[in-house]
Amino acid sequence: MHRHPPTNPNAPEAVIVDNLHKRFGPLEVLKGVSLTAHEGDVITLIGSSGSGKSTLLRCINMLEVPDEGRIVIGGEAIGLKKGRGGRTIPADARQVDRLRTRLGMVFQNFNLWTHMTILENVIEAPVHVLGVPKAEAVHRARALLDKVGILSKADSYPVQLSGGQQQRAAIARALAMQPKVMLFDEPTSALDPELVGEVLLVIRQLAEEGNTMILVTHEMGFAREVASEVVFLHQGRIEEQGPPERVLVNPESERVRQFLSRHLSNGG
Amino acid sequence: MFELLSFGPNGWGGQLLGGAAMTVAVSLSSFALGLVFGSLGASAKLSRNVVLNGLAEVYTTIVRGVPELLVIYLLFFGGGGIVMAIGRVFGYEGYIELNAFTVGVVSVGLISGAYSTEVIRGAVQAVPHGQIEAARACGMSRWLILRRILVPQTMRYALPGLGNVWQLTLKDTALISVTALAEIMRVAHVAAGSTRQPFLFYTTAAALYLVLTTVSTAAFERAERRANRGVRRA
Repeated sequence: MHRHPPTNPNAPEAVIVDNLHKRFGPLEVLKGVSLTAHEGDVITLIGSSGSGKSTLLRCINMLEVPDEGRIVIGGEAIGLKKGRGGRTIPADARQVDRLRTRLGMVFQNFNLWTHMTILENVIEAPVHVLGVPKAEAVHRARALLDKVGILSKADSYPVQLSGGQQQRAAIARALAMQPKVMLFDEPTSALDPELVGEVLLVIRQLAEEGNTMILVTHEMGFAREVASEVVFLHQGRIEEQGPPERVLVNPESERVRQFLSRHLSNGG
Repeated sequence: MFELLSFGPNGWGGQLLGGAAMTVAVSLSSFALGLVFGSLGASAKLSRNVVLNGLAEVYTTIVRGVPELLVIYLLFFGGGGIVMAIGRVFGYEGYIELNAFTVGVVSVGLISGAYSTEVIRGAVQAVPHGQIEAARACGMSRWLILRRILVPQTMRYALPGLGNVWQLTLKDTALISVTALAEIMRVAHVAAGSTRQPFLFYTTAAALYLVLTTVSTAAFERAERRANRGVRRA
């Protein structure tokens, strides 16, 4: 079985998260989380629901704006400032838009644009955000759809595809931007069990190709195989982190041990 | 009887046709203006700005809560005064008279816009948030998201409601016959009076409205099918 090589601390840092705090009203979801993804790392975020793992992922591309802390993407820190009412907001919306083009996001619910065909979904951002000529974008999109195994669905609409096919299309859409880092937010949680495998296969292939990825997942077996590092979050803090063979097999924390026994007994 | 409806020297055919053209012109202009008011109203209602919320609320409450004929009277008798008052602010002292077409389009447009505001507001809220999030995650700017994602998706939820608003707008134009603008209703009224054949001319007017509404219903159905590609199979 393939094992991802351990994280390489000498590789350049693709994403740095430093002392991140995020509150939703009175609820503090992130209580000072720090995390570094070096190029080529595959980091999986695990933890019970409400642990803050999805929020952490969504902060990295500013879908949630953290209240405190610093995020650095490829050496460039995201500028934040205090807006009216004391809320933290991006200092420069254009910087955020630009940095987002380097971060490919895959959502739990796919979020393909329903009024466009699969091919149109994949070429939309390259053409309209990056300014890639349409013919070139179509050429690259077809190659990506072939890679994820749904080239025959290029001219279908999302509603005509199964969940697994939609998620593979969404991965192709994210890859079309040639991102430096791929972010996956529970990419298989909305899928019927028999469709999970085909999506994990695609993600595993991306990991083996050396893509830098941060994944939120409940698939423990998968995390163990593809991750270079596993981060366990509990109530907004990092409880334990390290290589999968330690955190997922022989954790120091009692909480992690309990979590794993629950998840492994559930067949996760 | 058919001579009265013919295009001959004693017939009203030409005038009725002209009236129908005028009705179409007023309806299209009012509906288009209503879409502008409706988009502005919906953005104001959905914005986080309390002042804009309030203004839009006042607009839809007054215009939808007052008889449409009254809105037309208010603008017909008060509109010139309002425009002249604005003119004086900018140093224009002359007399300004608004023509019946302008008054008609603005008043029916205001009414149409109040209903469109609610239709568009509901349609924007019906667009799943994930569609917008996916666009933001790709680095699309606000303007690009509006143009490429939000407007096309809003259209599919708004079209059935807007079809209704169009039908109401078309029929509301009959009310501006009170300003003597020669649209279908006004022509029918004049012809009925001068020939003493009211039933004939009002039936003809009804038939003309029916032709217009039937054709436009078909057009809206086509537009809906087009906007719903990928939802229901066309």
